[in-house]
Amino acid sequence: MWTFLGSDVMFFGAFIATYLVYRGRSLNGPYPSEILNIPVTSVSTFVLLMSSLAMVLGLYYLREGQKNKATLWILVVVLLGSVFMGFQFVEFREFAHEGLTPRTNIFGTTFFILTGIHGAHVTIGVIWMAFLAYSSHRGKLRADNSLDLEIAGLYWHFVDIVWIVIFTVIYLISANDGPPPGAELLHG
Amino acid sequence: MANLWQKLTYHRGNGWWNLPHTASQEPDPPFEGPIGGAWLSNIWRTITHGGVSHAGPGFYWLVGLFLGVITLLEVWLFTLKGLGGLYIPILLGLSALKFVGVVAFFMHLRFDGRLFTYIFTASMGIGIGMFTLVLLLQQFGNQVR
Repeated sequence: MWTFLGSDVMFFGAFIATYLVYRGRSLNGPYPSEILNIPVTSVSTFVLLMSSLAMVLGLYYLREGQKNKATLWILVVVLLGSVFMGFQFVEFREFAHEGLTPRTNIFGTTFFILTGIHGAHVTIGVIWMAFLAYSSHRGKLRADNSLDLEIAGLYWHFVDIVWIVIFTVIYLISANDGPPPGAELLHG
Repeated sequence: MANLWQKLTYHRGNGWWNLPHTASQEPDPPFEGPIGGAWLSNIWRTITHGGVSHAGPGFYWLVGLFLGVITLLEVWLFTLKGLGGLYIPILLGLSALKFVGVVAFFMHLRFDGRLFTYIFTASMGIGIGMFTLVLLLQQFGNQVR
């Protein structure tokens, strides 16, 4: 899993670098300053961070042999991950409503690809966790094979740390980005 | 002085920042506090799960609280005006703190096998190297003509 995560670091690194290369180069709007909603995204970031906390608690109780608590915390991971996906779905829909799609401008392309791929990772993680919650409930996931949950947890925490970077780079740092110098000349 | 330093950074006799040799075969270190040490460990022991084996829920809640507070701090900085050139470095620093917090304590990399640490950090190095190279090429590539 660590090797896979290592490759995924490079995968996401390439997309984040691409976003930064094209940052502030959109010649038409909507621009980040017009569309990004920092308070809402902060809440979704907090939700994802707390899902990581739920993950370690689930692993802890599984190792302690407390099946019900372990199942509960794994279900909390599923719930918080789903809430995060809900936030992303609403955000994407809102952006599309405001006129930002992957085809609108270079910001839209790089933003949707990066956050979309991250969202796909979260989706896979939620499905994985749902299976593990079911296994824990059925008693098939126990302290002696808790490595299964630990590996899934590594994946989940990785998704979390990628979002930490995305939230900082795309949302907090780029939130004030407007049109690049000279863009107004193109539109008269 | 040297003795005090050793106590503050003590971690199974290796110094806190030294990684365990074969962590997959060893139990987790007794104290997962950020700087370890005799006097601090007593505090940590009361908070964490008896101070032995894996950290307990109390410790994980503390790490979660820390991550939440850092996120709040980031959002607060966003609302502040007048930080100028310090804004981005501060945000990147806070982001790095959260990153390290999750990787070291939630992902247990701090207590995992050295090989995993090397694989992950090498990939991070390559990723950041690519990242920097692309940004530098984008910044200065057009000037070489």
